[in-house]
Amino acid sequence: MSHLLKNKNLKELAKIYDWVSMCTHCGNCKYGYEYGAATNFAAMLCVQGDKFNFDSYRGSRGKVSLARSLLHNRIGWSDKVAHVLFTCTSCGACQQMCETDIKPWILRMFETLRYEAWKQNVAIPENIKAWSSTIGTLYNPYKEPHENRLDWLPSDVRASLPKKAEYIYFAGCTASYRRKQLARATVSLLQKLKVDFTVVEDEWCCASPLLRTGQYDLAAKFVEHNKALPEKYGASTFITTCSGCYRTLGRDYTMDAPEGYADKYGKMTGVKVLHTTHLLEEMLKKGEIEFTGSFNKKVTYHDPCHLGRHAEVYETPRNVLKAVPGLELVEMYRNRKFSFCCGAGGGVRGGFADYSLETAGKRVKEAEATGAELVTSACPFCYTNLADAIELNKSPLKMEDVVEIIEPIVRRK
Amino acid sequence: MARGNNEILANLEQIVGPEYVSNEEADLQPYTWDMTWAEPRMPDYVVMPKTVTEIQRILRLANHRKIPVVPYCNGTNIGGLCVPEEGGIIMDLKKMDRILKIDPETCYAVIEPGVSHAAFSAALKATNPQWKGEEFSKGFEFGWGVHPPSASVLAMAINHGIGHLNGRLGINSQLMSSMEVVLPTGEVAKIGSCAYSDSWHSFLPLPRMDGLFTGWLGTTGIVTKLGVWIFPIRPYRDVLTIAAASAEDITNYMVRWRHYSLCDEVTAVSWWLAQIPIVFPYSPKPADAPEFFSYTVISGWSEEELAYKRKMWKEVVEKERAKGTKLIDFEYPPEAKKGRTELPSRIVGSTKNYSKSCGGGIAWPGTFAPCKSWPILYEKWKEIYIRHGLSPATRFTDYQGAHYGMLRCMTPFNKRDPASVQAARDAMVECVRAGLPEGMLPYKPPVEYQNELNAVADAGYLYLMAKIKDMLDPNNIMNPGKLGIR
Repeated sequence: MSHLLKNKNLKELAKIYDWVSMCTHCGNCKYGYEYGAATNFAAMLCVQGDKFNFDSYRGSRGKVSLARSLLHNRIGWSDKVAHVLFTCTSCGACQQMCETDIKPWILRMFETLRYEAWKQNVAIPENIKAWSSTIGTLYNPYKEPHENRLDWLPSDVRASLPKKAEYIYFAGCTASYRRKQLARATVSLLQKLKVDFTVVEDEWCCASPLLRTGQYDLAAKFVEHNKALPEKYGASTFITTCSGCYRTLGRDYTMDAPEGYADKYGKMTGVKVLHTTHLLEEMLKKGEIEFTGSFNKKVTYHDPCHLGRHAEVYETPRNVLKAVPGLELVEMYRNRKFSFCCGAGGGVRGGFADYSLETAGKRVKEAEATGAELVTSACPFCYTNLADAIELNKSPLKMEDVVEIIEPIVRRK
Repeated sequence: MARGNNEILANLEQIVGPEYVSNEEADLQPYTWDMTWAEPRMPDYVVMPKTVTEIQRILRLANHRKIPVVPYCNGTNIGGLCVPEEGGIIMDLKKMDRILKIDPETCYAVIEPGVSHAAFSAALKATNPQWKGEEFSKGFEFGWGVHPPSASVLAMAINHGIGHLNGRLGINSQLMSSMEVVLPTGEVAKIGSCAYSDSWHSFLPLPRMDGLFTGWLGTTGIVTKLGVWIFPIRPYRDVLTIAAASAEDITNYMVRWRHYSLCDEVTAVSWWLAQIPIVFPYSPKPADAPEFFSYTVISGWSEEELAYKRKMWKEVVEKERAKGTKLIDFEYPPEAKKGRTELPSRIVGSTKNYSKSCGGGIAWPGTFAPCKSWPILYEKWKEIYIRHGLSPATRFTDYQGAHYGMLRCMTPFNKRDPASVQAARDAMVECVRAGLPEGMLPYKPPVEYQNELNAVADAGYLYLMAKIKDMLDPNNIMNPGKLGIR
């Protein structure tokens, strides 16, 4: 019998075989689809399948099949297996479409497969290996010195921030080292809105890149460290501008498997996690924000996978954008739960830069087709990839984060 | 790890480009198995052609090297049809995904094998029926069946798949109008009206050569283009439901109702199939629950037309009740009703009904059977299924008129448990064996069913089938092992 669990060396994967074996191989996951009196949607959503074509790459079915083939000892590990595993952006589109009992476990299974891959002699992408070799001491995947983490923060602002506060603005690695203007805009926004917040010098990477690429052992000390920050700084809430940080702090730190990793690292309790757009939406609802100007542009919003499909936050950023005077919000064909990934997630931006940018280029073309002048998002990682694709493709589009749109034209009422 | 040999790999790379061929096990493994009990079998290559010329070249190579070729679109046929019995080349056709034509006046479309139901339904809904520039109504539809949205329209049609219009128009292979085929030896042939002009509207009045490629399970060639009839979406639709105490009672009702040819579909499901998920393993139904639940979909161009159909349906129910048929009123769940009225919805393409917590296995004895055999066979199947610890999750569906319809039994099983797999396979094969004398014929049959069929087939029929197969495919490269004759 070929469906028996024969390879018990893959212990982490074997642990979730009960769920892996729930996949019927039906193929719902391979295509985005919704139809009815009010809707008429059909489009390819799997970034990886769109690029690499074979069923091994397409939707969760290919990866489930891979997991089963490995557990059944039908195939062995190879560089090709690693390629299939590490070219998935973990965008969650396949999970969105799945209707069987494996559904909540799909992303966890991808990460577990990657965890197992690290123990094999297979071609993990060199760049992932490179940042993995230093993240344990530098606490960021960009190979930047930890002591420079707050360099983005003007010294006078830094000096003015309280030591203890209700909110910790968790800037994340991408904004701290690569999109510093976004981190600065966020701090400025929080100041304008008179939010009781601070920024902490001992913030470490949230561990998203480690968890998404299956580096469970290395992730442990990051989770443990960051979980202790709220108590240390008297805070009740993490606030993030990064969707990856939001997903990781808000789900991986706080929820049991399969949604999070509390089963591995213990549960963060008594701490709220908000995305910046949550805070803005809440304050707008309460009438605490006054617009001092307008933003007279046609804008399209790109759903970050970590905020959208992973955390099901679709309307919050849209509600914020709709409140901006002068801003005309237009949708791409693929939006919300049927969004198309920017191509950066799951370690793909680091591991396969060309493919990642090619994917972002497809998304930029889709944004152009809306007639928008500007594409916005709520994640610095999506920002980076889309902005690079805009430049590479000489697109007329501009890119700004939601925070960057809002910050110049608001004040606290 | 790589399979096959490097020379053939290089030949295939020359034909389609290195990006679109692989002999790596990591790429081959999803093609080794499907939902059914079919034992996984590894192909040696997977190749993704984009053009007819590439397909011709691949088939010529395969003939030259005597390599099996298995046509593949999505692998969701529930018959193990794409599992490569003898290895060889999986010809994955999903890159050939163009909708080549939608003719809103003559009401047909021409599609390639990789066109999914999702893409096709979206395109048809966006096209309006018209004549000389005047639009008559909104949107077209085709027969949307029970399948995932990624399933191939073409593959389903040529393998006698069913759709939601089967009560009104017949099964999807009856909606085909023309085709283009690459023969196993590499020649291209057009069949039907497209053989004479660029009009793909009909096979008739020509000799029905499409029969050489329909229902042959991909063993006689690669259909590269298919013309299908499409139909205006009727703006009014409703679902009428009734339950019954027995298979006999529900069949009596269905036969009388479909006699009037007023519905798009009439289907009945046993109590076990009506449960989400299907009860697995078997447990008895509550004593007071009906044995069968039936829905029928009516459609029309006005509320008056719908009202007339409702009136006629009520008359049918009353006449049957007056006769003593035990029919029971019941309310259709809103989600299910939406699924039937807003076709093709995801509920229809869902597998959740079948697969909850049962180890990922799904199969069926899916058959075409004369309606009078339904209650007889249901009782036989029920005994067989319960004896094997399985629920008799049975469905009857009428196909266009008073002739025959679907009789099948959705069977979840646990692939991780050899005893469960064996029980499912044994039960299903036994059901097929029991059904053949009653006129029942399995569709999209797994190899085991094909063997049962061949054992009782007319000798002349098998002789002719073998002769046609030999003529078209002299080296037996096309999906070998599936017909049980070569």
